[in-house]
Amino acid sequence: MLGDAAKALAVFDAVMHDAALRAAAGEVPKDRLWLFRDARDRCLETSEAGLQPEEMELEAHAIDPNATAQIAKLEPQQLAIWISAAPDPQRSALALFYLDEFSHEEILAIADLKTPELAKLLGNARQQFQAWLNACIPHDDHIEELPA
Amino acid sequence: MPRLTRRQRMFVNCAPFNDARIDDRAMRAAVFRVRKADEFAHQRAFDRAIAAVAEATPIPDEVTEWLSKGTFVAAPRRTWKQMLRNPVVAAIGIAVLVIAGILVFKLVDRLNQFPGEVKARHLLGVAASAKSVLLDPVKTEAGSLGDYFFMKHRLPHYDVPAEFAELKTLGCRAFDDEEGDRVGQIWIVDKRMQFFLFPAERDAKTGAIKHFAGWRYVDQDRWTGVVREQNGVCFMAAVRGGEKDLAPYIAKAKE
Repeated sequence: MLGDAAKALAVFDAVMHDAALRAAAGEVPKDRLWLFRDARDRCLETSEAGLQPEEMELEAHAIDPNATAQIAKLEPQQLAIWISAAPDPQRSALALFYLDEFSHEEILAIADLKTPELAKLLGNARQQFQAWLNACIPHDDHIEELPA
Repeated sequence: MPRLTRRQRMFVNCAPFNDARIDDRAMRAAVFRVRKADEFAHQRAFDRAIAAVAEATPIPDEVTEWLSKGTFVAAPRRTWKQMLRNPVVAAIGIAVLVIAGILVFKLVDRLNQFPGEVKARHLLGVAASAKSVLLDPVKTEAGSLGDYFFMKHRLPHYDVPAEFAELKTLGCRAFDDEEGDRVGQIWIVDKRMQFFLFPAERDAKTGAIKHFAGWRYVDQDRWTGVVREQNGVCFMAAVRGGEKDLAPYIAKAKE
């Protein structure tokens, strides 16, 4: 969400501190996903305070059958930066989706989205990410060779 | 990719790449439809590859200790809406409704039953097949035939109720039915109506008369009768038609 480990840790500490205080006071909300919602809100607040990514029209390419080989060459930090640079709510959708911890209903609840919106955000993001991959990590020759 | 509806395509687009995270029936069905399509396979491989990179993100130990979704999220509760959408629950619900409907129908039917109903139905069959030539021609008011049955056939209380007493008769007779009970039959000019007077049903053990209050409708083969019990004798007015043909006579009496 933030693309910066130090900021993320600060948000995590703040969320846990607040959660501990609430738990001690017996004021834990009934919403079962409240902690994640709180974390997301704090991430958005933090990111709004820092440098903002430049708004620009991203290219979109269809998913390449060999995209996995391109993705395997990525560093986690590169992926984190790409996701954190996405405009919200696409950023929240991507972060929650690729964490592989939530069902789509839970993602909708945390990111305050509807299913069509989530589908559109993820669909667009895949194509934009593929275009970025094609620009940054071109296919190797051996990747392009498809089995006969 | 197989042909999908817009809704199915939407579900496929946001379907978690981990099947264990799909807890929506419609989404599972959409994913099942496209599971063999290359396009979907590429999408899933793409998502899984990204998730693998995301998983490789170094996380400080102090965070890892806490980072377990199970620690922070209670198990989802099943709502009534979700339960009703379950085909098994829906099927059971429909079955229970049908059974309840049948029980209510039977109960209402039982409540409408009255002692002597079987005989009344049988006499509606007699009315349907009766010919006026079988009767003794008697042209008078129906109300005056009570004395006739008493004097000629020794049948006490075979009286026509006031509601039908003023109707003109064509003829009448007394006969024994299959159970050996004496039945009085009167043919009326109005609407080719027929009246039947027969002994009320008795309790098989005690022999006591089974009384019932008010008028009760009975129908059989497009014939409808309205029956009332008084002094141990049942009176039935029968007509070819429905309840609406008899209702005015009874309504007149209530007024």
